[in-house]
Order: sequence, then structure tokens, then C-alpha cells
Amino acid sequence: MRREAITYTAKQVAELGRDNIPSELLSGQGLVYSSPATLAYNSPGAEGFGVKRAGLAVPESVMLIVAPGCCGRNTSIVSSMPQYEDRFFYLMMDETDLVTGRHLNRIPDAVSEVVSFLDGQGKAPRVVMICITCVDALLGTDMERVCSACEEKIADTGIRVRPCYMYALTREGRRPPMVHVRQTLYSLLAPMEKDPRSVNILGNFAPLAEGELQKHLLAAGVKNIRQIGTCETYDEFLKMGSANFNIVTNPEVRAAADDMTKTLGIPYIELTRVYGVRQVALQYQALAQAAGITIDLEDDKADAEQAVFDLKEKYPDLTFNIGECINADPFELSLSLLRYGFKVDEIYATLAPEKFKYVARIAELSPETKIFCNMEPTMLYYDVSSSHAHISLGKDAAYYCPGIPNVAWNEDIQPFGFQGIKDLMGRIDAAMEVRS
Amino acid sequence: MKGLRKVLTPFAPDQSGAVSVLYNLGGMIVIIDAGGCTGNVCGFDEPRWHGERAAVFSAGLRDMDAILGRDALLVSKIASAAQRIDARFVALVGTPVPATIATDYKALKRMLEKKVDIPVLTLPTDGMRLYDSGEATAYKELFATFAKDEARETEGKELILGATPLTCGEKYTDVTLEDIEGIRGRKITAASASGIEAAKLTGKDYEIRSTSAEELIASEKIEGKVLVCHDEVFGKTLRDNGVDCDIATFFTLHDEIKREGDVKITEEDEFTALAESGRYDVIIADSALKKLAKGFTGRWIDAPFFALSGRK
Repeated sequence: MRREAITYTAKQVAELGRDNIPSELLSGQGLVYSSPATLAYNSPGAEGFGVKRAGLAVPESVMLIVAPGCCGRNTSIVSSMPQYEDRFFYLMMDETDLVTGRHLNRIPDAVSEVVSFLDGQGKAPRVVMICITCVDALLGTDMERVCSACEEKIADTGIRVRPCYMYALTREGRRPPMVHVRQTLYSLLAPMEKDPRSVNILGNFAPLAEGELQKHLLAAGVKNIRQIGTCETYDEFLKMGSANFNIVTNPEVRAAADDMTKTLGIPYIELTRVYGVRQVALQYQALAQAAGITIDLEDDKADAEQAVFDLKEKYPDLTFNIGECINADPFELSLSLLRYGFKVDEIYATLAPEKFKYVARIAELSPETKIFCNMEPTMLYYDVSSSHAHISLGKDAAYYCPGIPNVAWNEDIQPFGFQGIKDLMGRIDAAMEVRS
Repeated sequence: MKGLRKVLTPFAPDQSGAVSVLYNLGGMIVIIDAGGCTGNVCGFDEPRWHGERAAVFSAGLRDMDAILGRDALLVSKIASAAQRIDARFVALVGTPVPATIATDYKALKRMLEKKVDIPVLTLPTDGMRLYDSGEATAYKELFATFAKDEARETEGKELILGATPLTCGEKYTDVTLEDIEGIRGRKITAASASGIEAAKLTGKDYEIRSTSAEELIASEKIEGKVLVCHDEVFGKTLRDNGVDCDIATFFTLHDEIKREGDVKITEEDEFTALAESGRYDVIIADSALKKLAKGFTGRWIDAPFFALSGRK
């Protein structure tokens, strides 16, 4: 019997409606196929900035992972990066710990030993993150209390100890791991005198690409633009507490921004990364209105439009397959490319109901665009031979489409705004050039 | 402090070992986890995953599944996938989550067997034991399910057990389900600690030998007193070929291998004490251990050990 990957066209999904999205396209409905995307998407420690790397985004911090050995196994990939040397430590749980919870009593001593070890090497940390996993989620461990006990144990050092939850079990919950870890990081900030010329950009753990957003803020009189990924010292990070307002560029940091409004009195403005020229302009107009500043968009907008025009002129029928391991919302990106006049043959992404609005528009422009879910078990049988795409976007799309050019577009440094559009068009052009 | 790692990263766990044995046998492997364990297995411990697609799935457990013990839902998800996947068996591989909620694997097996028409294997690994334990568990379950009681002798056809990528890196040796079915008619070589456990299950004589160690002997001149820190079979093979060595292993050390001076170690400090004891001229071990032996001044021969360091 011939087996095939289950797929639906955009038209089929649109006709079924937002409340009847096929279960094969949704998360949490069945077994999860181990594709590259699901390893990154479903596992909070596996790739990119998972909980482990994210927890160490604060400068001069180290992490003690308190967990069964299996939870820390792949950390050796991260540990081999120079910036993470001597920053990961492990307190291994055994079966008796699981039954008795005795490991909790050992954590303060372990933290103390780690601090002494690092102090002996002249690398004393300012913050110790204690990372716990699914086991302690189920045991109901009160990590705030454990961290307080740790701070008492090393009170003479002034080192902060904070919990970091790598709970894959809660991925679809109200506070999934990547939301929670951002709250933990920014909870280290303390109230301080406000600097009206300071702004924080909150979003990811590596910084936004240097470019137009910062340029517009500087032109509007902002003196200090801080991001966690550009702070080189803990003291510099603490200055984020002096910001006049925060700019949120990723919905996963919204809860942390809410916390900062309550505890530090810092309001925030939320921007969404999109790849439509008109939609980017709307984002900047919203920012200008909310912050009471003037932003001149014309040059950047014209550059982005020109980049799209150039690519379209060179490759008028360019057809894409688009994955979800990418610095973009795959459905929004697909819609933007269709609006530019390109074609999208296949999308490999999990479809949450809040993304349905994009699919409905995609169905109007390209009803036969096929949607696959990376989590669906039958992706084991996915066969690219029926696709007529010229290029794929997203790291995971390269896995499914090995014979055509790929732009991974998933680097740590994050693209944004017109510059993001312009850079993406340039990368697509370069990838097509290499092929030809 | 016991259990505290300041230098080494955790070793390959039992669930990785179990998957390593089952990986290329044509089964549908379901890791009973939330996603992170599958990420570790496929994204790190299973080099074959990068080369070809495999029927390895995460159960995709969520907090309420675990809290409410929704076994019926899990069985339904597995049965639904099994209808759409060509597989010769279903293997349920445990992780810390089912260990914490005391999942009844026998019940899961019975429930699932009523819904699928292929054999169901259950492996109660828990992520807290080491890979060799998981490999041994997988062999035991495979033999119990597939090995025929009486198999025709297949003269001269050697079957190597325990030579998974976790022990042997890129020089691993796959076995097939047909090999397992006819195992009692085969000449068996145990290539690692789990291979010894597997070979014992056949009730037949077996050879203990590591080809990786034999290759090392062929390429290196080894003189003086040696400390080998690797899998026990690797150490025994060196000794059998004339190397004057003591074996220290973080993994299983069987009584039939152990000689005076050999030791099973658990903590980083134990390795440091051995390496810096002054008793050894040479250390043969993965270079990831070098950081623990800063006071050792002799010769270090690198012997990559994937399960220990993740180096191929």
C-alpha cells in the first residue's frame, strides 16, 4: 500500500473554517513525528535559543541543571560554544530522588560548590539559574523557595539565584517554557530612576539586526537602546530597568513586558515582524503614534519595494516551499510573497487557529497551496517529487526539499522591518544565483 | 558532591540506548515524553537520524495527560498513527515522565495489543540510568518477542551485538529483525557491555571483542601501565591483546571482565583520583576527560566514546 503525507490545500482549510481546522494540521492532537522542525519546536532545549541558552542570556550568569541525566544530554552541543564554557553545571537526579524529593535539599550545597569552583578560577558569577524539568513540574516543586534557600546559603556573595523551567509538558499552556524563561530573566531587574532617553527592545535573546528600528529611535532623540543580547556585563543589563518604555518584538516576551509594567513602571509598545511592505509601514506608524515621535519611512520603504521589484523582475514565476524553522511567521510570509506576485507551492507548519486569518487570504490568492504539518506522523512519507518549487525557505524546508536552493533564514540575529524584507530578497536572489 | 557535574556533560541515557538498538529494525518507536527526550535522542544521540527518516515519534504528552494519567488517549494516538505507518512492531520507550507518574507498561501493552495487529514492545527506561542499561532492556524485549526457540545453525555467520553508534560511533553494526529471529543459530560476538547482556540471553557461548579497540592496537604502539576509561569490552580487548591495563568505566563492569585494579566509577572526582594517582604511564580515553586529569603528565591516547562525550 502506497503511503503519503497528509496534506490539505489552503482552499480546503479555508472552507472548513477557523473552528474546524483538520486535526492533522494542529498541535497536540496526535503523536509527534521527529522532523527537524518538531525537534526545535516541541523540545524546549534542543535547538537554537531553547530554555538552556535563553536562561544564560543574562551576562555573567551560569546554570545548574537539576534533572535526570537525559534532560541535560544535548547540552554538550551548547557547551562546546566558547561563550558557554564553564557556564553549565549538572546535579543529576536518580530514581531515589524521584521518589523522595531529596535532591531539593542538596541544591543549595550544589550551588555553593559551583560558585566556589568558579571563584577559584576567577570566574565568579553574578547570577545562578537553576533549570528544572518535567519531573519537578510533576512533583510540584516550589523552586522560588529552593532559590531563596540557595541565596541564603551564599548570602555573603550577593549572587542572585533564579529558577528556570524547562517544562516541555506545558508547551501549549498559559505560560510555556519560552514565555516563562523571559519572565525569569527580566525579573532580575530592579526599579531605578527613569531615563527618558532610554528604550529597551525586548524580543529574542540575540539582538535585532543593527538597522532601521534603532536608526528611527535615535533620530527621535533616544540615547540608549538596550537589548539583552547586546549587554556585555550584568551591570549593563541592570540598566534596562531605567528605560522609558519597552518595544516588544516577539509575543513570547509579552508576559515579561507586563511584569515590567507592574514592577518597574515601564510601559510597552508591541510590534509584529511581518514581511509585507504595507504592513511594516503600519507597524512603524503605530510606534510613532504610541511613542509620540516622528518616523520618516519613505527611503526604507522604497528600498524594500525596490528589492521586491528586482527579484520579481529577475524571477517572475519564482515558486517557494516554506517551513517554520525560520525568522518569520510561515503563513504571513507566504501571504506576503503571494501578494508580491510570487507563488507558494507548499507550507510545512503547524496551524494554530490564530493563524487562520492568513490561510483564508492565501486561499483567495493561491487556493492550491498545500499545507503540511511537521508534527503529523505521515510526514515520514513526505515526497517532494510532486512539488514544483524553485527554492525553499526555512531550515526545516531544506530537509524536505533537498534538491533545490534553500535560504534557512533562521539565524540568531533577528531581522526586522523593511530591512528584513530587503535582506530576505537579497538572500533569495543569492541562493538562486548559486544554483544557476 | 555526589551527582554534581562541573566538567562533563551527562552521558547517554537508557532511553537513547533503547532507541539505538531498535532504530533500524523497521518498528514504530514511540518515546513516551513531552518532546524534549525525543529531541535529545534524535537530535543528538542518534546519528542515523540525520541520514534517513525513521519512524520515531514523541507521544507529545502535556501536563494534564500526565496529571490525569490519560493512558487511553495515548493508546488511541498510537493506534491511530499505527494505521497510517508501515511498521513491524510498536515499541514504547519510557522517559522520566512515565517514571514519575508510575505508568503501568503492562497495561499499556495490553490495551494497545487490542488495537493494533503488530507486536507491542514496552521498555520502561526512565532517563536516569545509562545507555547500556537501555540497550540491554531493548535486546531483552526483542528476544522475548521475536527470537525463535530453535533456529538452524548458520555456520560462520557472526552476529555482533552491542555495536551501536553510542559505543562505536560511525563504526556501528546494525542487526536486523531476521538476525534476532534466528539468533540462537548464530555465532555471537559481544562488542560492548550491552552486547554481553544480550549474548547471555541466548544461553550460548559467545566471544567478547571490540573491533574499535583492535584498530587502536593496530595503529598505536602502547607501552607501560595503562588506564583505559571506556566501555568494558574496549578495555578487555586491549588487555587480551597484551596491553597492561586497568579498566575504569562509568558504565557496566561485569564480573566476568573485572580483574584486580579494574573499577566502576560514577563521579568526576573518582576519575581525577585515578588519573593523577601516578600509577599510569598512558591513559586511553575520550579527550573530553582530559579536563579532569590536569595533573596527569603521561601520554594520552584519544579514544572517542560517543555515549560519554557525544564525539563521533
